[in-house]
Amino acid sequence: MKRRLSVALIGFVTVSMLAGCGQSASNGTSASSENSEPVTSAASTAEVAAGSSASSGATDTITVMVPPVTNDYADKMTEWADEFHTKYPNLTLEVINTSWDDHNTKLSTMAQAGEAPDIAELSYSNIGTYVSNGTAVDITKYMDADMLKDYDQNALDYMTLDGATYGLPLYITIQALGGNKDMLEAAGVDVAKVQADGWTYDQFLSAIKAGTKGDTFGFVFANSGVTASDFINIFGATAGITNAFDSNLKYTYSGKKMLTLLQAIENMTKSGYMPNYGVEASQRMVMCETGNAMIFGKAMPLFENSIKKNNAAIDASDGSAVEDSKKITYAFLPVPTMDGVSESCFGTVDGMVAFKNNNSTDEHLKNVMTALYFLSSGERAAYVDAATCLNGVCQTSRDAISQFESTDRDQGNKDCADRLISEVSAPPTGMTADQSAAAAQMMDEVIVPQMQALLAGETTAQDMYDAIVSAAKDAFGEDGCVLD
Amino acid sequence: MTQSRHMGADNSEKQNKITRREPLITKDDISGYLFVLVAVLFFLVFTIYPLVSAVITSLQLYKPFGSDFVGAKNYINTFQNALFWKSLRNTLVYTAIVVPISILFSFVIALMIMPFNRKLQSVFKAAYYLPAVASGIALSVVWLWIYDSSPSGLFNQLLTALHLPVQNWLGSSKTALLSLMLMAILSGQGQNIIIYTAALLGIDNTYFEASQLDGATFLQNVRYIVFPLVRPTTLFLLVTGIIGSFQVFMNAYMMTGGGPNNNTTMIGLLIFNNAFKYNKYGLACAQAIILTIIIAFISFLQFKLAGSEVEY
Amino acid sequence: MTGLYSRHANNRKVYYIRNIILAALLFFMAFICLFPLIYMILNSFGPAVEAAGAGRSIMPAKFTLDSYKAFFAFSEFSGRWLLNSFVSSVAQVIGNVVFASMAGYAFAKMKFRGKNLLFYLIMVGMMIPYQVTQVPLYILMVNKFRLSNTYLALILPGMVTAYNIFLTKQFFTGIPTELIESGKLDGCSQMGVFVRIIVPLSKTVLAVLAITTFLSSWNTFFWPFLVTSHESMFTIQVGLKQFKFANTTMFGPMMAGATISAVPMFILFFSLQKYFLEGVTVGAVKG
Repeated sequence: MKRRLSVALIGFVTVSMLAGCGQSASNGTSASSENSEPVTSAASTAEVAAGSSASSGATDTITVMVPPVTNDYADKMTEWADEFHTKYPNLTLEVINTSWDDHNTKLSTMAQAGEAPDIAELSYSNIGTYVSNGTAVDITKYMDADMLKDYDQNALDYMTLDGATYGLPLYITIQALGGNKDMLEAAGVDVAKVQADGWTYDQFLSAIKAGTKGDTFGFVFANSGVTASDFINIFGATAGITNAFDSNLKYTYSGKKMLTLLQAIENMTKSGYMPNYGVEASQRMVMCETGNAMIFGKAMPLFENSIKKNNAAIDASDGSAVEDSKKITYAFLPVPTMDGVSESCFGTVDGMVAFKNNNSTDEHLKNVMTALYFLSSGERAAYVDAATCLNGVCQTSRDAISQFESTDRDQGNKDCADRLISEVSAPPTGMTADQSAAAAQMMDEVIVPQMQALLAGETTAQDMYDAIVSAAKDAFGEDGCVLD
Repeated sequence: MTQSRHMGADNSEKQNKITRREPLITKDDISGYLFVLVAVLFFLVFTIYPLVSAVITSLQLYKPFGSDFVGAKNYINTFQNALFWKSLRNTLVYTAIVVPISILFSFVIALMIMPFNRKLQSVFKAAYYLPAVASGIALSVVWLWIYDSSPSGLFNQLLTALHLPVQNWLGSSKTALLSLMLMAILSGQGQNIIIYTAALLGIDNTYFEASQLDGATFLQNVRYIVFPLVRPTTLFLLVTGIIGSFQVFMNAYMMTGGGPNNNTTMIGLLIFNNAFKYNKYGLACAQAIILTIIIAFISFLQFKLAGSEVEY
Repeated sequence: MTGLYSRHANNRKVYYIRNIILAALLFFMAFICLFPLIYMILNSFGPAVEAAGAGRSIMPAKFTLDSYKAFFAFSEFSGRWLLNSFVSSVAQVIGNVVFASMAGYAFAKMKFRGKNLLFYLIMVGMMIPYQVTQVPLYILMVNKFRLSNTYLALILPGMVTAYNIFLTKQFFTGIPTELIESGKLDGCSQMGVFVRIIVPLSKTVLAVLAITTFLSSWNTFFWPFLVTSHESMFTIQVGLKQFKFANTTMFGPMMAGATISAVPMFILFFSLQKYFLEGVTVGAVKG
């Protein structure tokens, strides 16, 4: 209807252009008809399906929006959508593929327009804002209890805010450190023992001290720009900070442990064991591959694959290896622990979250749950878990994973990853959407910008800590944060 | 039908010239409205509607399925937010430096291109314009490498070669905002240069022939002939440049995350984060409206200052 | 305009030296501005592997066309993305050349009631940050008009932009009113004057308008990303983003894609070159 209107508009102006001059309109005529033709043809070719939204009877279409969780996830989704349709002939899955950078922006826009996809991939830390604006759906109201029982409680807790669960977890990503195994051993580190039992901060410090020489840093952490948040999240475990909120729902980043952590960073950069500038995310592993870094972060178990690929490229000498890189052996490592701190590992959970939109009815939401469970369990989940070198978070995934897993993973790395996954602690139960959103904002507006100043030596650990404390008091109130 | 209406407008325009009566709507009005009709229709649908919607939303705690009216709360929160003021200051500093330098730079380049023959002119215009055609994503990757703070960053390699100490380009509060400004100035001038050259080419030689007789120098020519004649263009570049600069957020978003110490946080970034990251859409709208008012005020001043000599 | 510069007819040496210095300065500045582009093009010939992105040399270690092959093999729609971008950009160029220039002319040279108010209103439209207009626009196009995944959704919001209205207005302001009056005396309607007198005089600015519109339309990412969900309707910029994954970027193919996406701009630029240099003397009679 509107389309016709705009075509008519274009036509109207074309006609009025023809009016031209009384004596000879030929000039204007040729110009205008030339010009207007592509517009109308563009309009008429615009017949690409807008999606037949009319649902009659029991048939229903469920939209799901995902970024490339694995490199061939888009193709896999197409396969799974067909599979799903075969299994439930009245239901159709419509897949929207996005990119990592802009997935959340698109989701946010759609949700605020009341047009959210029924299901979208989301990191647990972003759920809060969608709960606040009323677009996330509590799945426990619509989903069979049997389906929920498939999932580990720890992983499910990540998808839960204030007692309501908004989606199903796909995997727990563990993020810790990685290193050059030979260089570590040359620096006197018993890699196998560290992987099996962990290490203390003092051991870590003496290792990076021994590993720092010439152009080589003992420790490199990608923390330039927005990635500075990773350092606090991941290395926070060293000082015993595992979550932004403790079990009493008080904000922990304002506690004394934070000061200890910041002082450790200050110490490592001042002594030159760690660069005193922000390292680009793309450079951290490269620096390890070229021998410019002994330990690097953040690191995931799947980096073993990338480093093996680079080693193979060096052997093939076909120009595709990282410039100046050497063959190295990758060791996945836990973060060290300070006195009185028990080892833990930072993890994030990404999952499939259910959303409400203008079309949502109870009937529709029940169908959404069927699709949600289908995509987040069994072989679908196992495929993702295997591709990311992570353990499944539901039983059906663990049952199916053997067919996808590669067999040549380093046993030490694999065992270390398994051990650390069990040490990941979920955010406390009862956290509200507002708290979660305020913590995210604190990170963006206070901690990340201050962190860069700390690395550059423009602020001190004490000053940065003071800034965090005062901002935390404003955001959560004196009673809402840990002040010791 | 449309045709006859238009012809009607045409005929009576002539009559109007003779009779000089002042009807409620003159034929001049009608033909003027016809000329802007399509533009205004598009404008109503795609600009005014979202604008009105943003104003309404700015008074709400926005939720897609039923918002709460909160009055001026979003505006009050904005004015009480220290980061808003800091980002406003950053944006003002950024604009005050980037826009004039950009315009001067493109004016000088456009002037310098003029004495050459057509072929060389084409080469230079292409050289300055083509960087604008590359996609921003690909270019930001390159700029991140140029500014990399490690010794392998391109600028740092240059400094090392010159025996100067390496810099923490985007990581230090002394250089971060400057680095973003330099990037904006070096990568964003293609369009301005093209527009300036188009304006310069429109200046007729007779002006200079006359001034040559008076013995005017090159700089006098630029000052008294070229400057006034490209004034509408300069005003255009100034106004659009300031608007664009006030809305800038991509560089902080991609390159610095607002750091260090919020020295590169722009209002555009705050609005973006509030709108899409924290889902505080009402607050984002309030901040956007405040920003729009600031830009409108500055633009209005520019029109007033330039308007006295330019025909509107 | 050439008259600004002395031709130093009595001393050719000075003339040549001056031009050589100017050219050297221009080439130097051009190199700095062009550097990121050169880097992009050179690295698009690098190998199509993830790790290659890490190299920090200007020259890739090995020259191959693998990245281009990878770009086209990445999705069956790679070619379609280019076509989609082309269709929507061309449509927006036409829309702006016709409608924005008409409106610009009206604001510059015609007299009608409410002209200034309308003009300022349109200017205000340019001043609203796009972030807050995306949601209402999305509701309008997707929810009300049901236009997601259509060319219309890609094209309509950019069909007539305030920027272009302002640009043409500023240029038309310089055209002497006498020309218009004489056209009217010859029996031309306002439209006749516009088509027969103004447009021929304004090829330069219309070429500028065409290329800047094409460029901004071609490089727009966010709106097409919002309103398309089928890969077949992606534009090239939306498609390019697909090369970035969670932990790795396919660097070579991304640079290849960016290079491919720049090619139509090169072609357009050089084909409009003639008009950029025409230098119609619009300011001639004014003064």
